[in-house]
Amino acid sequence: MSHPHKIELSALLTVLGVILLFSTAVTVVLVSPSFVDPSWREPSSSYQVQIYEVSDPNFYIGKAMTGSSDLEFVNHIKKGYTLLAFHETPTLRILAPQELQKYVTEEKEPKLKLTSRLLLLRPPGKEIQEEADKKQKELQAAWEKEHPKWKEEQKSPPYFEIFELYEAQGDEAFAPAATDGIVENWVDGGTFELLDPALFPHQKGGGAIYINNPREYRVEHYTFGSTEGWRYSPKGTPIKNLEELKQHALGFRSRQELIALGEHIYAIEGCWYCHTDQTRTLVQDVVLNGSANYPAPPSAANEYIYQQITFPGTRRIGPDLSRTAIKRPYRDWHKGHFWAPKTASEGSIMPSFRHFFDNDPRGQGRATMGIPNYRFEAIYQYLMTKGTRITPPTQAWWLGKDPVNTKAIIEGRGNLIDTSRGNNETKGKSP
Amino acid sequence: MTTATSASIPVEYDDTPVKWMLYPAVLFMVIGMLFGVYIAFNTFVFPDYFSGEYVHFGRVRPVHVGNVTLSWLLSADIGLFYYFVPRLCGVPLWNPSLAKWGAGLWWFCNILGNFSYPWGTNFGWEYAELPVWVSVFPIKVLFGIAWGMVVLNLFMTIARRRYEKMYVSLWYTMGTLIWTTFTVIVGFFVINWVPGGISRVNVSWFYVHNLVGLIYTPMGLAQAYYFLPKLANTPIYSHRLSMIGFWALAFVYAWIGAHHMIHGPISQWLQTTSIVFSLWLFIPVWTVVHNLFATLQPAWQAYTQSAPIRFLMMGNIFYLLTCVQGPLMALRNVNEITSKTDWVIGHSHISLYATFTFFAIAGIYQALPVITKKPLWSKTLADWHFSLNFLGSIPFLLALWIGGFLQGMQWATWADGSTYEVFHNNLTILPFVQTIADMRFWWILRGIGGLIILFGNILFVVNIYNTIVLQPREEEKVAA
Repeated sequence: MSHPHKIELSALLTVLGVILLFSTAVTVVLVSPSFVDPSWREPSSSYQVQIYEVSDPNFYIGKAMTGSSDLEFVNHIKKGYTLLAFHETPTLRILAPQELQKYVTEEKEPKLKLTSRLLLLRPPGKEIQEEADKKQKELQAAWEKEHPKWKEEQKSPPYFEIFELYEAQGDEAFAPAATDGIVENWVDGGTFELLDPALFPHQKGGGAIYINNPREYRVEHYTFGSTEGWRYSPKGTPIKNLEELKQHALGFRSRQELIALGEHIYAIEGCWYCHTDQTRTLVQDVVLNGSANYPAPPSAANEYIYQQITFPGTRRIGPDLSRTAIKRPYRDWHKGHFWAPKTASEGSIMPSFRHFFDNDPRGQGRATMGIPNYRFEAIYQYLMTKGTRITPPTQAWWLGKDPVNTKAIIEGRGNLIDTSRGNNETKGKSP
Repeated sequence: MTTATSASIPVEYDDTPVKWMLYPAVLFMVIGMLFGVYIAFNTFVFPDYFSGEYVHFGRVRPVHVGNVTLSWLLSADIGLFYYFVPRLCGVPLWNPSLAKWGAGLWWFCNILGNFSYPWGTNFGWEYAELPVWVSVFPIKVLFGIAWGMVVLNLFMTIARRRYEKMYVSLWYTMGTLIWTTFTVIVGFFVINWVPGGISRVNVSWFYVHNLVGLIYTPMGLAQAYYFLPKLANTPIYSHRLSMIGFWALAFVYAWIGAHHMIHGPISQWLQTTSIVFSLWLFIPVWTVVHNLFATLQPAWQAYTQSAPIRFLMMGNIFYLLTCVQGPLMALRNVNEITSKTDWVIGHSHISLYATFTFFAIAGIYQALPVITKKPLWSKTLADWHFSLNFLGSIPFLLALWIGGFLQGMQWATWADGSTYEVFHNNLTILPFVQTIADMRFWWILRGIGGLIILFGNILFVVNIYNTIVLQPREEEKVAA
C-alpha cells in the first residue's frame, strides 16, 4: 500500500507527458498560424480598412420621420479626418470663394480633388445670390445654344442646382448621404488628387473613400395632427453634435453599431446553425454564390478580421451567406423575406422573423408606419458586409475583376492559388 | 495482489454526490431529447408550425444541444467518475461535501444557462453557447468553477489512493481532467483574447473537437473499461493495449480541429496537418474496439442476458463506425461531399449519442443497484430500453447519413462540366431550395427515429424512478 499523497514517478511522468503533447499541438495549430500566415491578420484591401475603420463608425442610419418606411442616412464629417469631394455634374455647379476654388473638381477634370478640410455646400447666400442667378441664366443660355431645336422638341432648359462652397465652423458637421453606403464612394489609381494630404492619415496606397458634395443635415420640428417629431429640412437648424443625432428624438445609430448588433442578432437567433459563411474552394460553392456570368471568389481568411464572432458554419440547411450582399442587395427583398421566408423564397423551410418588425412591412398592419425595427436594420447591415468588402468597388469580383482568378481556375485554365494568403488587391487581374 | 489485500478492508463509499449528478442528468437527457424531437418536427417536417421569436429553430436548437451534451452526458460522466474513481482507488471520495456544493453550482449554471437561449443569450460559438451572463450570474465563470471543484476532488482522491497500480480508467480520468480544464478555458475565455476572424475560428474548432475527442471520448472509454469487466465479470483483455490507445489519443486529438474547415478559408498547411492527424485516429480506436471485444470474448452469452452489456457493446460498434467515419470525412475528396450536409449531424449523433450515451447508460445500469442498494426495478424494461434505443438509432442515423450523402452528391452536380456557363446552368436546373425539398423523406425518417429513441429513454427514467422509489433496500429484504 502506497503512502497517501505520495506522487510516484509514473504518475508524474503521465501528467507531464500529457501536458507536453498537448502544448506542442497547441503551439503549432493555435499559436503559430497567425504568425505564419499574414492573411490571418492583415486586411485584404485598403478599402476594407477604410470602410470598417473610417466609414462605418461615421455613417449614421435613422428612421425618416416622414411617416413612410424610408430611412435617412447621415455622414458624420470630422475636420482633418473625413475626405470630401466637391464634384460638379452636368446639372450641379459650385460657386466657391477664391481661396476655396481649388477644392472644386469641374465636370470634365480627370482627377477628383479630395480634401479633409471641413467644407460644405449650401444654397447661395444673399451676398452671392446675384452671382448665382447670373450663373443660372448663363448655364441655361448655354444649354439652349446646345439644343437649338429645344422648342420644337418640346423640351425646356433644365434648372441647374447651384451651391455655394463654404468653410464650416467648428470641428465636425453632419451631412445627409445620398445612398445607403453599402458600397462607398471610392477612388483609386491615378484618378484622384489629395489636397493637404497630411490631414488624412488613413489613405495608404490604393485609394480612398470619400463623401461627395456634402450639405449640412438640418432638422425641424413638426406637428401633424396628433403626431409630432423631427424631420429633415434644409431650412431647419443644424445638428449640434453626435449626442443630439443619437438621442431618442432622432435615434440615429452608426453603421458600425448596427453591424455589431447584427452580428449579435445573428448569434442569438442561431442563423449560423443553418447558414454557412464561407465560399469554399469548391466549384459547387463558387457557382452557388456566383452570378450568371461570374463565379464568386472563395472566402479568404482576411475577410473576417473585423468580426467579433465568425460563423463559418457546419451545415447548409439554407444557402451560404458569404456573398449575400451581392446576390441579394435589396433592403425590400430582405424585409419581405424575413417577414415570410416561405412566401419570398418558395420551398424554403426558414422560420419567419416577425420580431424584427414593429409592423407588417407589407403595409397591411393597423399602424401607418410600416417600419422594420432596429433589429431588421442591424441584421440587414450585417448581411450587407458579406462579399462587398473584400476588394475595392473598382476591383469588384461582381464586375468580373476577380481577385483570385476563380473562373480560370474552375475552368481548368489556371493554377490553383492558395486563397487563404496574399493581398487581393495586388492580384486584381481578370481572365 | 493489492486488490486482494484491499478487498479485505471494507471501505464506506459516500455515493450521495453520484446520485446528485446522475439522477438529474437522466431527467435532462429525456428533456434534451424532447427538445431534439421538437426541432426535428417543427423545423424539418412541419417547418415553422410553431412560429415566433422564442420557439423557432435557431433559438431552440442550443437548448437541445446544451441539455444533451452538458446537462445529460457530461453530468452523467461526472457522476460516474464520482462512482468508479473512489472504487478504483480504494478510498472514499476526498471531499463529498465539496462534491455536493459543486453539484449544486453545476446544476444551477447548467439549468439557467441551457434554458436561457430562447431569450437570446447564445454566446455564438459552437458547443460553447453557454452564456457569459444570465441576469447577474456569470454562467461561464460559475461553470468553470464547478468543473474546477470536480477536478480538485478527483485528483485528491487519486492522490490518496490505496492501490498503487492505476487501472486504465484512472489514466483516462486524469487525462480528461487536465484536457477538459484547458479546453474549457480556451473555448470559453481565451477565444475572446485572440484576434478576430479566422484565428478565433481556429480556436473554436480546436475547442469543439477537443470537447468530443479529449473530454467525451476519454470519459466514455474510462467507463467502458471499468464497467464492461464489472458487468461481464471478466478481466480486461490487455491493459497494455489500452495504454497504447490512451497515448495515441493524447498524441492525436489536439491537432485535428482544423479538419472542420477543409476547403474553407483556413491555411492549406493547417488543413493538411489536421487531415494527417485525423488519419492517426484509427490507432486509438482500433485498440479500444479490439480490447473491448476481446474482453467479452470469454463471456459472449452475457450479451444476450444483460441490457447494459448490449448498450456497451453496441456503443463499441458505433464507436468503431464513428471513428472510421471521422478520419474519412477529413479526406478532401470525401469532405467535399459530406461536409455541410446532414452527414455531419449524423456523425456528431453517432459519437455523442450512439456511443458515449450508450456507454453512460450501461454505467448507470451497473452503478444504480450499488448506490441505491436496491436491485433494478425491471430487467424487461431495461431490455426494451436497449431495443428501442437501438432500433430508433438505425432510421435516425441512416436518414442523416444517406440524406446528407445524397444532398452532397446533388450539390456536386453543379460542378459537372468544364465551363462556368455549364456550371451555372447546372445550378439553374437544380436550385439550392430543391436540394432542401428533396431531403424531406429523410427528415421524416429522422424524426420517427428520434421519437422511438425518446420513448425508449422515457422507459429508462421510469425504470430508475421506480427502482429508487418502489424497490425495497436489499438489507431490508434480507431482514424481512
